[in-house]
Amino acid sequence: MESYTLLLQNKELFKIVYALIILFICAVIVFKTDKLFRLSFHKGIQYFRNAFFFFGTGFFLRYVFGSPFFYGTFFSTYYYLIGSVFKYFLLMGGFFLLYSLLWKKIESSETHYRSSILNAKILIFHIMAIVIVVLDYIWQTHSFMFFSQILTFAFASIISYSNLRKKSHKHKFPKFYFIAMLLGFFAWVLNAVAELYFNWSQGVLINVYILNLIFFLLFLYGVFRATNSNH
Amino acid sequence: MAKKRERLEVIKDILKSIQANRQIKPTRLLYASNLSPQMFKDYVNELVSKGFMKLEISEKDKKTFALTKKGYNFLEEYRVIENFVENFGL
Repeated sequence: MESYTLLLQNKELFKIVYALIILFICAVIVFKTDKLFRLSFHKGIQYFRNAFFFFGTGFFLRYVFGSPFFYGTFFSTYYYLIGSVFKYFLLMGGFFLLYSLLWKKIESSETHYRSSILNAKILIFHIMAIVIVVLDYIWQTHSFMFFSQILTFAFASIISYSNLRKKSHKHKFPKFYFIAMLLGFFAWVLNAVAELYFNWSQGVLINVYILNLIFFLLFLYGVFRATNSNH
Repeated sequence: MAKKRERLEVIKDILKSIQANRQIKPTRLLYASNLSPQMFKDYVNELVSKGFMKLEISEKDKKTFALTKKGYNFLEEYRVIENFVENFGL
């Protein structure tokens, strides 16, 4: 209980530390997966890398550039803009993570695009993310983002569960991956619950932050485990 | 029916064939790769353009393929890449 009180009393500072930890985790994952991608040109690895690039950039913008320590320095529009850009990056990160599991069913490994971040197929995600951000702006809510991400992570959890059933005899990691996807799903559900039923209660939000941290740490663990396995 | 090889596996097989022979003639590499001529051409062009292997032409105009440093690196890291792709279901 004391630790909760301490967190609440210093919440803005902890938010920055939290964002920096996530930024560091994302940077390590992007760096490690980019190295593997440059060697293999595997599209799944490329989309996985992109997901963490978007997550990392989003957290950096929201919690570092949009820090309440700067309140009063900029116009309120600035913070609204930062919040919307954060949403866009988070949405794109979720879509890329899901697409890294789905791409084989949608495109051929022989098809080459000039950019993996903006091409004919990925454009749909950009449009969806922009539409969701705009809808949230019009209705002055975060619900469109929450529900789209709940759906995205529910779908990703089902796919990773199916992978777990296929490969659990060969590898232990798919179990952690499924758990990570479920955590992501629950973090988004809790976000929606905090907005709709608890009026952004700080107590509920702390649990969201903890779930998010575990989510990113599990991915980091998975990346280290896979990349540091014996050759 | 044999399972279709994944793209990553095809690349590994091509580069392994070169590694086993140090230098290999295009026709021998085509047989070793177990690909159709068109597919083989596509893969070889891509691997040469991305710097995994190189085409060497001797004074007698004989063509052979050899691995580059990047090609050796790929083979060294192949288990890691395969492990990563399988673990994350990518």
